[in-house]
Amino acid sequence: MQLIQQMINGITIGAFYSLVALGYTMVYGVLKLINFAHGDLFMWGAYIGLTGLNIVLALIAQTTPWAILPAIILVMVTVALVGVLVERVAYRPLRTAGRLAPVISALGVAFILESLARNIYGASYKTYPAGVALTGGTTLGGARVSVMQIVVLVVSFLLMGALYLFVQRTRIGTAMRAVALDHDTSRLMGIDVNRIIGVVFLIGPGLGGVAGMIVALYYGSFDFTLGWVFGLKAFIAAIMGGIGNIPGAMLGGMILGIIETLGSGYLSPQWKDVIAYVILILILIFRPTGLLGERVAEKL
Amino acid sequence: MFKKIALLFLVLVLTLPLFTGCQKDAGTIKIGLEGPMTGDYAYEGQGFEKAVKLLVDQTNEAGGINGRQVELIIEDDAGDPTQAALVAQRLVDAGVVAVIGAYNSTATEPASEIYNEAGLLHITPSSTATRLTEKGFQRFFRVCFLDDRQGLFAATFAKDVLGVQNLGILHDNSTYAQGLAEHTKRYAEEMGMNVAFYDAINPDDQDFTPILTNIGAAGLDAIYFTGYHAQGGLLLKQTGDLGLDLNWVMGNACNNPELIQIGGLENAVGTYITTEPLPKDVDYPEARQFVADFQEAYDMMPDSVWWMMAAEAFNVIRYVMEETNSTDSKVMAEFLHNEAKDINGITGPILGWDEKGDRLGTIHLAYIINEAGELIVNPQQP
Repeated sequence: MQLIQQMINGITIGAFYSLVALGYTMVYGVLKLINFAHGDLFMWGAYIGLTGLNIVLALIAQTTPWAILPAIILVMVTVALVGVLVERVAYRPLRTAGRLAPVISALGVAFILESLARNIYGASYKTYPAGVALTGGTTLGGARVSVMQIVVLVVSFLLMGALYLFVQRTRIGTAMRAVALDHDTSRLMGIDVNRIIGVVFLIGPGLGGVAGMIVALYYGSFDFTLGWVFGLKAFIAAIMGGIGNIPGAMLGGMILGIIETLGSGYLSPQWKDVIAYVILILILIFRPTGLLGERVAEKL
Repeated sequence: MFKKIALLFLVLVLTLPLFTGCQKDAGTIKIGLEGPMTGDYAYEGQGFEKAVKLLVDQTNEAGGINGRQVELIIEDDAGDPTQAALVAQRLVDAGVVAVIGAYNSTATEPASEIYNEAGLLHITPSSTATRLTEKGFQRFFRVCFLDDRQGLFAATFAKDVLGVQNLGILHDNSTYAQGLAEHTKRYAEEMGMNVAFYDAINPDDQDFTPILTNIGAAGLDAIYFTGYHAQGGLLLKQTGDLGLDLNWVMGNACNNPELIQIGGLENAVGTYITTEPLPKDVDYPEARQFVADFQEAYDMMPDSVWWMMAAEAFNVIRYVMEETNSTDSKVMAEFLHNEAKDINGITGPILGWDEKGDRLGTIHLAYIINEAGELIVNPQQP
């Protein structure tokens, strides 16, 4: 019984890691850049969601879970625009400056976003208004599943599935995959590389922002350091699954969430990181490109 | 020419404090207050200032101590150890005879070295780290209680009031929380309870469902969490989400309204908290008088127990000066170690101090969160 409960706990955490990992993987795919600011864009999603919810609740003068919908759209749009702005200001001017400069620039953006959140919203814990998140749940075979868990899982898989189809089936998605392979050749094929990168920075942070709001709704409280832990874990999940690969990010997030949960459930929370990272190192030793990462031929 | 005038002006400005220093009335008793007036703990430091100032003004209106007026000198350490050492030296240079401070143990530690060198009477209102009194400083005292006392109280409460057989203890690996957890475990085992679960969470995490699932399966009568309120709130909320029925007891770092906000009222109701009494609940004439005076002077309640402790520190200094009719720190320290007992304190009766300078006895109370989300004194106390 306990194992089933722990698997449910683990899949929920894993779904959050997967959603955030998508943002790292998409940006890495097209730019070969580790966007360290992604975790903080995710954290901003939680804050903007809080502001949005408060506005919506004040406007409609009643408390209903439907207030989440307009707030989530606000989050998606705002964080996506911030993401595009970050790319325009901090990454694009450095695109020809080697690999180290953009990474440091990304770290700088991460610190700026974190400090801004602390200075604007304050350092104390914020809680989402009561009565918005769905309550209740059911007991299945001795294991407890809450309504919020089901919502989180359904929304996460829908978002991930939609993203996968978008990248595989649409013209822009095809262009993205082309840009991921080679910027110059894509340009020769008539693809506007800057525009495609712009689209990636709309979708990645947009999804990250939504993930931030879902995490905040699910746990009910957060502070400005939220992006740090989730960002780091999701980044590791992306590497584990094979960075640059969208199904890999989902798989990596799920595996990391489940390993961590079983580690803290059957040993102790003090040991779960040791277990999780020993497994990560083993995966990387045997599959250096991650679980689903393909071995890309070296460019000459 | 301009340079010479500027230089002369500079010399004048720099030497001005020397002249003003000479003009001070030699008859006043100078007492220092060191605390975090700015920075993360500014809330507590500013409360220290309000509480101590109130008593100083009252004392001076009533004729001072032994016929001498009290002059309070306030220094801001921002809770920072480096700045604490700097301002401690300034207080020593200013010629204080006794010091109240600092708030956090990290700042109190370096400052206490300097006060000890200078031979000053030093009383901390709120620094509970055990090692502060392990250094053999003869003139250093606390008016707060060590975490060890709270551990004893929590174990007694669990056994006598809750009738616990199987106790669980959860901490977060911070110095404070781990210390409290270890003390509680030791006392619980001495009292014959079975500590059936003992583990720590990582306070950076957001999701504690894995360990809660384990706690739920451990068959505990009660679980004592010794960490801070942000994690305490999440633990309460996720206990509810998992549909578990756990009997939570939490330590004094969870004594914060945010605990209920984060946990959600429906999950927080019935949670016990072991803590020093809140100012509103200290039922001694001295305490009621202090709270009333504080409200009149500042139009607010003294919200933090540590403000009361700061007032208590001044109260003790006044008491010992009057009893010994002296401001000599050696005389005062010896009196506090050996003769002081049964003082009518603002925070309850003071039984005295042990040879290390730690306050004897305990004043902890068990609180419970009621249906309205208020922290009320639990009807049954050990």
